[in-house]
Amino acid sequence: MTGPSPGRLLARAASPAFRIAVTLLVALTGLAITPRAGGAGDVTDMLGRRVRVPARAARIVSLAPSITETVFVLGEGDRLVGVTDYCDYPPEATRKPRVGGISSPSFEAILTLRPDLVLATSESNYAEHVQRLASLGLAVYVIRPVDFETVLESIARIGAVLGREAAARERVASMRRDADAIVQALAGAPRRRVLYVVWPNPLIAPGRGTLISELIQRAGGESVTGAEPLPYPRLSLETVVERRPERIIVGRHGQGTVEDLLRGWERLGSVGAVREGRVYGVDGDLLHRPGPRMIEALRELARVIHPERVP
Amino acid sequence: MISRRRVGVTSAVIAGGLAVAGLLGLATGPAPIGPGDVAAALVGRARSDLAATVVLELRLPRVLLAALAGGGLAVAGAAFQALTRNPLADPAVLGVAGGAALGAVLGHLWGLEGSLAATVGVSAAAFAGALIASIAVYLIAASGGWLPVQTLLLAGVITGLFFSAVITLVVSLVDFAQLGGILHWLMGSLGIVGYRAIGVIAVGTAVGSAMVYTQARALNLLALGEESALQLGVEAERVKRIVFVAASLLTGVIVAQTGPIGFVGLIVPHGVRLALGADNRLLLPVAAGAGAAFLVLADALARLVVQPAELPVGVVTAFCGAPFFVYLLRTRLRRRTP
Repeated sequence: MTGPSPGRLLARAASPAFRIAVTLLVALTGLAITPRAGGAGDVTDMLGRRVRVPARAARIVSLAPSITETVFVLGEGDRLVGVTDYCDYPPEATRKPRVGGISSPSFEAILTLRPDLVLATSESNYAEHVQRLASLGLAVYVIRPVDFETVLESIARIGAVLGREAAARERVASMRRDADAIVQALAGAPRRRVLYVVWPNPLIAPGRGTLISELIQRAGGESVTGAEPLPYPRLSLETVVERRPERIIVGRHGQGTVEDLLRGWERLGSVGAVREGRVYGVDGDLLHRPGPRMIEALRELARVIHPERVP
Repeated sequence: MISRRRVGVTSAVIAGGLAVAGLLGLATGPAPIGPGDVAAALVGRARSDLAATVVLELRLPRVLLAALAGGGLAVAGAAFQALTRNPLADPAVLGVAGGAALGAVLGHLWGLEGSLAATVGVSAAAFAGALIASIAVYLIAASGGWLPVQTLLLAGVITGLFFSAVITLVVSLVDFAQLGGILHWLMGSLGIVGYRAIGVIAVGTAVGSAMVYTQARALNLLALGEESALQLGVEAERVKRIVFVAASLLTGVIVAQTGPIGFVGLIVPHGVRLALGADNRLLLPVAAGAGAAFLVLADALARLVVQPAELPVGVVTAFCGAPFFVYLLRTRLRRRTP
């Protein structure tokens, strides 16, 4: 073969003349992509993708409630120009323009907002959507908050992408301190068997490797479904009887009382938690959104699992 | 015989309908882009980056996909109806779409995502699923080289239910994160497809439709009964094999990209047959055009009704299709009973 070597080709691709030619070609063919602020830099997101992020992103679209909460907690809510239909915390978030659901965002609505950065999460956004948005020329930075540590890392990384490293570091440190304080208050307490109800009917509970199972563990409990191989298995009521939970905790999303949600469960008198009335509702958003309110989730769990230790 | 004039009028109506539907599809969406800007973007003189990206990268592929899928499904439906001499046959009723959906789901789970090879791979998996379903239905229903109508329908319904149960099994056994967009795709969606997938689907529908069309005359003769067709030199078994493979190819490549979309394959050929009669040489191309216009229009409506959110396009095809089908049944019934 006599053609130029790959190295030569790369060098040529990087040359200013080549770049100008490409820019001209792109502009002339009308396929130009969203212009970016100067001083853009390549960063690696939590999936290992290379993303060109503007030095100071000013028009950010968030594709998940946990991301919206993180941006607001870092004091950068003003830079959000679009959020999902489910982003309802803090209340200011509800006044932002909407781009559709988490699993069904409207690409057109997103493009119309002319974002210079889109923040997504591998835990609720589809990989196909991320690919498609990136192929439309948008900078899409993906976080991957799967457990306690990666939630903290996600906050730190969003801080870095927003140019708010110090604020993020501080927030992460204070979350760690709060978590440590709760764990210390629980030192020596007996581990209680906990059934966490993600969804009551059909019963869906957290399995192995989920953030919820980990938080229950840290809150002095033992998830009775924590060994299930699937992350969110659908289980029968018989499982509840067989696993003998001492606490039943229901993640509520503002849909009626715990009694309404667990209608029919009063039959399960052989279960300690039911017999002794140790059935509690907690704000599901705290546990189901892997974001800055994770410590509140931990405190809520500790409070119902060990009320004598955590007031 | 159908008059030349009637053919001309019908073709003109369908071409006009396709054009109107296409324009509506290109002009519909949450981004504030006027008709003039849409036209400018289409001829490469977009007045803004936003208009260029939205029209050329989001709306145009969508309209093209809807046209290809609608046309292909209508041809597949017409082919199945002609082959089985049964007005109720279509890829969904015969369980072929279910087989294609299962193949595509397995292809997705296999990690076939992203590259051109992956798009072809998922399409091939869906084609394989559709073919397996076709063969299964055929073997279950065939008795002595003849396909009794009732047995065929039963075989199709059973095969379809079985495949959808397998999909439910797969979905409930697999980690939610791994499922990704599958749940959404299973509702029927034209949303996130780019030009690469359009290329694959265009080749697939072109090959499949051409294969069916080469058998148009033979299908006409088969309609007279296999005995008479045989006397006229038609090899019934060969025709059946070709048409089954072609219709499975059409169903497979389309379902792989759009998910199962009902009603197009069932009602479009019927409407055309009522207007122009059952000559497949005419029916097949006209049904392709009508199917294309119908699905493009349905997708535009799906995006329009609950803006900025979207309805699954299958909801719209069913809402338009079911009443139309009832109307056809009733009027034809009345015509036959004096």
